[in-house]
Amino acid sequence: MTTNKVCLLGAGSTKYGKLNESIIEIALNAAKGAIESAGITPKEIQAGYISNVFGVADKQVHMAPVIMSNLGISHVPGLTIESACGSGSVMFREAYANIAAGFYDCVLALGVEKVTHTGTARSTTLFSYCSDFFYEGGSGATFPGLFASMARAYMATHKATEEDLAHVAVKNHENGLMNPKAHVHKKITVDDVLKSPVVASPLKLLDCCPFSDGASGTVLCSEEFAKKSGRPYIEIIGSGRGASPAAVQGREDITTIPSTVAAARQAYKMAGVSPKDIDFAEVHDCFTIAEIIDIEDLGFYPKGKAAHAVRDGATRLNGEIPVNPSGGLKSKGHPIGATGVGQVVEVFEQFTGKAGERTVPNAEVALTHNFGATGASAAVHIFKKVDRK
Amino acid sequence: MIEEKLSTSKSTVERFIEAANRKKILAQKCVKCSHLMLGTVLFCEKCSGNKFEQVDLEGSGVVVTYTIQAVVPEGFEDAGSYAWVIFQLDNAPLRASGFLPGIKTPTDLPIGTKVRVVGYDPKHGLLLQK
Repeated sequence: MTTNKVCLLGAGSTKYGKLNESIIEIALNAAKGAIESAGITPKEIQAGYISNVFGVADKQVHMAPVIMSNLGISHVPGLTIESACGSGSVMFREAYANIAAGFYDCVLALGVEKVTHTGTARSTTLFSYCSDFFYEGGSGATFPGLFASMARAYMATHKATEEDLAHVAVKNHENGLMNPKAHVHKKITVDDVLKSPVVASPLKLLDCCPFSDGASGTVLCSEEFAKKSGRPYIEIIGSGRGASPAAVQGREDITTIPSTVAAARQAYKMAGVSPKDIDFAEVHDCFTIAEIIDIEDLGFYPKGKAAHAVRDGATRLNGEIPVNPSGGLKSKGHPIGATGVGQVVEVFEQFTGKAGERTVPNAEVALTHNFGATGASAAVHIFKKVDRK
Repeated sequence: MIEEKLSTSKSTVERFIEAANRKKILAQKCVKCSHLMLGTVLFCEKCSGNKFEQVDLEGSGVVVTYTIQAVVPEGFEDAGSYAWVIFQLDNAPLRASGFLPGIKTPTDLPIGTKVRVVGYDPKHGLLLQK
């Protein structure tokens, strides 16, 4: 199948955290940032793709037309997409595919979430609806609980420790300190993680990402549109989607996420690159164990070896493969409808000189990875910096 | 005013719950290739066959992995300290998961511990016992 090249022309995020504005206002703030950074006007947008999960918690579903109307382009068709915590990347893939197929030349791809006003107990319950509820949430498993069960299986199979997991949190908090839009700005130690209160054993509070509000937006376009703009742009060279059994009990190996493996394989093949060609990666670290599993499933490390690599500093900003320079979900935050788009915003900022002191030096190829629930759905994208000299 | 009545057809979920109350796990067995699956399935994941026989599997197995929930979802505030457990069934190549009350620390539940289904709690789901 022949498809057209797709480019990333603009990107912007709100701060992630506890936000006072309505979900629509949060979305519009990110849209404004993305549109301004692309150097376009809303009139050039031909379609709007919106990712969101819990709009109902802020009394707004059917969000795309409301956002389009508030951007002054009520005639532009919009679509709202939900795929749990993977909504952002799954939606981004649909926006990508529609440009690749030639339906549009320029679209807005934006994710948004607002849940913190519901409180921890309600948010915990709402998130549990993203599981295979009859088997999991309905018998008392929360998302920390589901990942805790994966962590216990991983530690038993691959001889990893709670201390190994803690190194992921320490590294991501270190990166997040350099990201002004991150939700949690707090330097932590391995000891802090190990002594933090248990949420679902063996995971503790500092193994878990926060509940966050926030939005991230991107402008995607055809190569012709990008070239005509005269502005810096980034090429999307690989896009993959994968799926896993919805319930963890249905997976033969609980220490791997099949959707990640499948999505990565497709994206690498399309891009014509291998894991060793990736200069940095933004991966789905909703819990520390998730990042360990991710970087094995993405092919950066053999199965069972990632925990030691993280402990040795290989995934730090100056390591052999920097992982989550933005601070990741763990520190930057996890507004679930926006998270997958926020990873793309980080790639844009890194490649356009806007990442400040967290810049990965000489990076030219980057990967984003984001999944829904415990990995029932996933998407991986690979980006290449375009030299316009 | 005409009162609309709820449909009376029995769902797979209701049959699963009835089986759990008989201390069994309800599975679907593909008539064509004998592959076993949980849940509502319309096509076999192995051979795409579309005819199934419902079978009651013995609800006993061993713990594969678990968590002890400290922060609980709504509806579990009164559940005391409990584990959510994935277990491998003894007599079938299937795993199931459920709610195991009374577990306070990991020393209470080493991986490999035997567990069995003892019922279905309307509030807490598939009820297990060590």
